Amino acid sequence: MFNYLVRRIFTSILVLFGVSILVFSVIHLVPGDVTMAILGRQKVTAEKVAALREQLGLNDPLYVQYGRYLGNALHGDLGKSIRTNLPVAKSIADQMPSTFVLSMAALLVALSIGGILGMLAALRHGTWLDTLVMGLSVSGLSIPTFWMGLLLILLFSVKLGLFPSISSGNTPAQLFLPALTLGLPEAAVVARMVRASMLDVLGREYITTARAKGLPRATVILKHALRNALIPVVTFLGLQMAYLLGGATIVETMFARQGIGRLAVQSIFNRDYPLVQGVVLVTATIYVLINTLTDVTYVLVNPKIRLK
Amino acid sequence: MIAKLSPFQANSPGLRMLRQILRNRSAQIGGILLLLLIFASYAAPLFTDRDPNKTAPPLALKAPSLDHPMGTDGIGRDNFTRFLYGGQLSLRVGLVGITIGALIGITLGLVSGYFGGWLDSLLSWFTDVLMSFPDILLALAIIAILGPGIANAMLAIGISFVPSFMRLTRGSVLSLREMTYIEASRALGSSDFRILSRHILPNSVRTLLVLLTLGIGSSILAGAALNFLGLGAEPPTAEWGAMLNAGMKYVRQAWWLTVFPGAGIFLAVLSINLIGDAISDAVAGTVVSVEKK
Repeated sequence: MFNYLVRRIFTSILVLFGVSILVFSVIHLVPGDVTMAILGRQKVTAEKVAALREQLGLNDPLYVQYGRYLGNALHGDLGKSIRTNLPVAKSIADQMPSTFVLSMAALLVALSIGGILGMLAALRHGTWLDTLVMGLSVSGLSIPTFWMGLLLILLFSVKLGLFPSISSGNTPAQLFLPALTLGLPEAAVVARMVRASMLDVLGREYITTARAKGLPRATVILKHALRNALIPVVTFLGLQMAYLLGGATIVETMFARQGIGRLAVQSIFNRDYPLVQGVVLVTATIYVLINTLTDVTYVLVNPKIRLK
Repeated sequence: MIAKLSPFQANSPGLRMLRQILRNRSAQIGGILLLLLIFASYAAPLFTDRDPNKTAPPLALKAPSLDHPMGTDGIGRDNFTRFLYGGQLSLRVGLVGITIGALIGITLGLVSGYFGGWLDSLLSWFTDVLMSFPDILLALAIIAILGPGIANAMLAIGISFVPSFMRLTRGSVLSLREMTYIEASRALGSSDFRILSRHILPNSVRTLLVLLTLGIGSSILAGAALNFLGLGAEPPTAEWGAMLNAGMKYVRQAWWLTVFPGAGIFLAVLSINLIGDAISDAVAGTVVSVEKK
């Protein structure tokens, strides 16, 4: 097991190294001269171009540039935004809590709605309820996040006037629509998983045994079945966090909410490359870390894998 | 789910699979829906003689009526006409995106799995790296490099599909590579190219089929998302995601500008997912029946 863990962590470091190379390359892969792309329609003078090249450190050889980028990044310095001149790391740190709260709220939506629906579908396997849940689930997988967000705005904000359609804050009322928008498609995935996993568990002999012992149905379902059925779902959560980070770009833009997703989109529009690089690097790093952590926990928790 | 087979029907596994798919209720619904959408958008001139980009400010934000079945937008363009023409682009983005992703990904997967060695390690590492950009983020990063635009959006979506195709193909190649018939073909003096194109690829198709189908759906979704964010089609081009973006401003006055284009995306993706589910059932079915033998 120790060997596995070392190998797993080493792979992650290699991947992160690749991520850093790729992110670093962003600025060099821009077709044409990157300074022109940044300055765009501004009056371009030779001094301006020279100053920008200096600021971006483009005058050094590539390997020097990369070494500096990596060294700085490891020290938490991601450069300065071209538009605002603020440190990129600080901008990201400022926006992060908002995205984190949104993702957590969305995860809660996904787990509660998806979990309950998936469980009901499994318990009523083959009935109309099962068909309905599966139908809702495939619809949830097909619905564009942004469209569902707009439909929710139409219903809850325009028609019923219950919740704000633009919501920056983190009060439950302000979080309601964005979290629902981000969480419902996820609930569709969770419902499918819980259903499949629950059906699998319900067919096991220990469930029959538990029932034969005369335990109440609720106890069997909640204590014996659901607990075991949730194991694969929980290991899957790490990956879902990543989806939520990606989905946040759309939801945050829609609801004009603060967050790193919106920051990413805006920085692309502004051609603010250091900021783009920073957001992409941080998000990818978080993703790799979550994945590694999921794998490691899985090994530590599951004795079957541990023994191999 | 395995379809009941009479001895007269079971001729070839491929045909059997096709029959099973065609008999699947959700595949039937999805297929009809998809054909309708394709027909509606590509035969748009049959349903409307208006120009999707013709503005008429006095007619702005009119609610749906007989004359304008889906109302008009903020500058008086007919929403129904834009919906039909918009479908062409949205569906094309999906198809082009997945084609780029599949072509590159499958090629890399074949090469990586078949030849192995350092090339395999390098390519696998590269896939891992690409896969660390969650969801739409890789496409966004590529757009950041290439700049916004519809062609760049297609390319970005295509590249973001490369890792999944490569991984799946590679896995399939690894399991096929050691098969006796591959060895036999090699003993007969077949070139690597021939083995890859004549033996390994055709035998991987079944595995890839599900990803290909479901991928079209995800690709349409991703395209619409990029367009919705304003990183794809430039105005005045009609495209469902871009139309939603423009309609969002009027969400309080004109529901028809958000409901219809979104419904287009939803129905397109839903129809493909329904077909994809049926294919995935059928593929699983054939695998099971082969194992039973």
